[in-house]
Formats: sequence, C-alpha cells, structure tokens
Amino acid sequence: MDATLSGHLQELRRGTVVVASLTVLRTPGYGYSLLETLSEAGFEVEANTLYPLLRRLEAQGLLTSEWNTDEARPRKFYKTTEQGDSIAATLRGEWARLDGAITDLTTGSQG
Amino acid sequence: MNHLVDRYVTTALRRIPEQQRTDIDRELRASIGDAVDARIESGEAPEAALESTLTELGDPARLADGYVGRPAYLIGPDLYFAWLRVLKMLYSIVLPVAVGLVTLIQILDDLNIGKVIAAIVTSTLTVGAHIAFWTTLAFAILERTGPHAPLQNTRAWSVDDLPRHEPPGLRTTELVAGATWSLLLIGGLVLQEFTFTAVPVLDPANWTFWWPFLIVVLLVRAAYPFAVRARGGWTRATSAGNAVLAVLVGAPLIWLLASDGFFNPGYQRIAELVDGHVKTWMTTTLIVSVVLSTLWDIGQVVVQAERNRRAVVS
Repeated sequence: MDATLSGHLQELRRGTVVVASLTVLRTPGYGYSLLETLSEAGFEVEANTLYPLLRRLEAQGLLTSEWNTDEARPRKFYKTTEQGDSIAATLRGEWARLDGAITDLTTGSQG
Repeated sequence: MNHLVDRYVTTALRRIPEQQRTDIDRELRASIGDAVDARIESGEAPEAALESTLTELGDPARLADGYVGRPAYLIGPDLYFAWLRVLKMLYSIVLPVAVGLVTLIQILDDLNIGKVIAAIVTSTLTVGAHIAFWTTLAFAILERTGPHAPLQNTRAWSVDDLPRHEPPGLRTTELVAGATWSLLLIGGLVLQEFTFTAVPVLDPANWTFWWPFLIVVLLVRAAYPFAVRARGGWTRATSAGNAVLAVLVGAPLIWLLASDGFFNPGYQRIAELVDGHVKTWMTTTLIVSVVLSTLWDIGQVVVQAERNRRAVVS
C-alpha cells in the first residue's frame, strides 16, 4: 500500500518541480542552491532527479547556463529564459485551474 | 576523501556520451562539493558528510541514465517476448536439425566415435552461437529502427497508425524464423563446399547455375512474406507468388535429386553407395520430404489467403 501511495505521490509531484525550478531560476542559481531553495520551500526533490532535469530544461531552451569561475569552486549557473518564463506562467495558471477544479469536485461531492 | 568522489563521478560518466562528459564532470563535482560543505557546516564529520552525500545521490548508473534519457538496453519490453520465442523456436528446431545434418555427414564421412562426438559438440556450439548472435542483432536493429522505435513517435498519431491485426502466418516471430531458416539453408549450402568434409557433399558442378539460382530464390523467399505483410496480408495474388517461389525452390531440388545431380559424385561415401539401396532410399526420402514441405508451404498460405478474403467479404 505504501509503495502504491508513494508511486502516485511521485506522479503528482513530477511536474511541479519543473514549474518551481523555472520560477526560482528567474534569478540565476546553481544546482545545489536550487536544491536547497526548493526543499526549504517544501518541494521534496532528490538531487539525482533535479540535476539531470536542469540539463533537459536547458536542452529545451527553457534555461540558459553560464559557468561562474569567480569563486574558488566553479559553478554552473542556470537562468530561466523568456520562453521558460512564459511556459512557467502557463504551467502555474494550469496548476491554479486544476486546484480549483479539484476543490470544486471535492466540495461538489460533499454537497 | 576525494578518492570516493572520483570513483563516483567516473562511474557515472562512463555511461554518458563523450561530448557531454567534461561539463557534467565539473558540474557534478561542484554539486557534490556544495552538498558536502553544507553538511560539514551543520556539524557532520567530513568523511561522514561525503558518504551521506553520495548515498543520497544514489546509484551513479541511475543518475547517468537520468542525464542521458535514452534507452540503455538492447531489446526493450515490446520486442523481448518475440525475441525469446524466436530464440526458443530456433534452438528447439533449427539447432537439432543443423547438428543432426552435420553429424550425419560426419557419420557418412568417417564413423569414428571420437570424431562424431567432436562434430556434435563443435556444431552445437557454433550453430548455437550463430543463432543467438544473429537473432539478437536482428532484434536490436528492429528495436532502433522498427515501428516500436521511440524516434518515430515524433509525428502525431492517427488511427491509421493502429497496427493491423497480425494474421497467422505473418507474425513477426514466424517471419523472422522463416527468414532465418532460409538464411541457414544458404549458409549450409555455401559452407558445405569448404568445410564439414574434405570433399563437398553436394555436386560442385551445380555452382555454374543451380546453387546460385537456389541462393537467389531463397533470399527472395526470405524477404517475400515481409513485403506481403507490409501490403496487408496474404491475398490470392500474393499466395500465388508464394506458390511460384516454393516451386522455384522445390522443383530444381527434386529434379537434381532424381537425375543424380544433387550429391557430389566425387564424394566417396556417396560413390560407395551408388549401387546400394541406401542411396535410392536416401534420395527417395529427400524427394518425398521436398514435395511434402513444398505442398505444405503452398497449401497453408492458400488457406490463409482464402480466410482473409472471406473475412473481408463477410
């Protein structure tokens, strides 16, 4: 039963990491910083999911990246592109719509 | 301590295409470094911090698969069972037949028990390895280029893409098995000229026409059912084509057998048998088997075509 639940939770959360990442990275950030920000914000995301995801979003043109070598440890900084930003806005709109729809469904069945 | 990081990163990078490695290498090391620093800052011992960071990142192979996003397998779930069925069928039918033939030739050639056992063992291993290799290669290519390949799914799906119900006689398994059988016959025909025995078993004089002719017809026969399936299955016209091909293979074989032009007269065991009953018996058996298998082949396809026709009419 636990495995079933965690499978469904994972399904449900999968897309939210994309929205959250594109939203957070409107100000540039690197892998670990984003991981911290997301987990502080309450998103349960694993490092081994997030790092490959960032590269996929970059390949899709939703993020750009740049190496920052000013500090002792060179880091790859990602930033949301215009396209990424507009997609994130659409996804957030969809999220709000779904939230409303689920709420309507729940209250509707109760009433 | 860095030793562990090196091992982790190298393991992950091994599974990633060359041109992406440098960048992922740097980024992964930086991310690990950041995570370890954060743990040390919150009071963990350096070594424990590194270990728990890597444990949290998990299996490097899984991480690499996440980066690459392409299938890391030779034959996927769509084709796995077809592959397994073909292999089982080839191992249970073709392998014994091939080993039986080689053994028979060896017995005819020299009834030395050591040599016979050696022939059985080596032919089992050789034919077995060939069956596994070629079947797997064919399916691996099918996996990457066939209708199952993910690359072809970029186009929008329409109802026309619905696979036709694969009629009996034209299932992928049967087609591949049939083609493999034809290819093995060709292989046997060519190899017997050079290996197996010191002198070829079959008449080398036929290389001027009949053997090359049979090779060409067998190749066409191997490919023909695939073409028929692509056009939607057996019809009267295509089953007639199949009959012509079957006759083109069967008739020359029967004629060569009947006119003593099949076996190599220079092959001494056959020469010894010329006057005996054994040769007549062998030739008759072979002629009967060729006739029966040709008729069976023609018949079952005609039946299938007739069924298809009625299914369309009704």
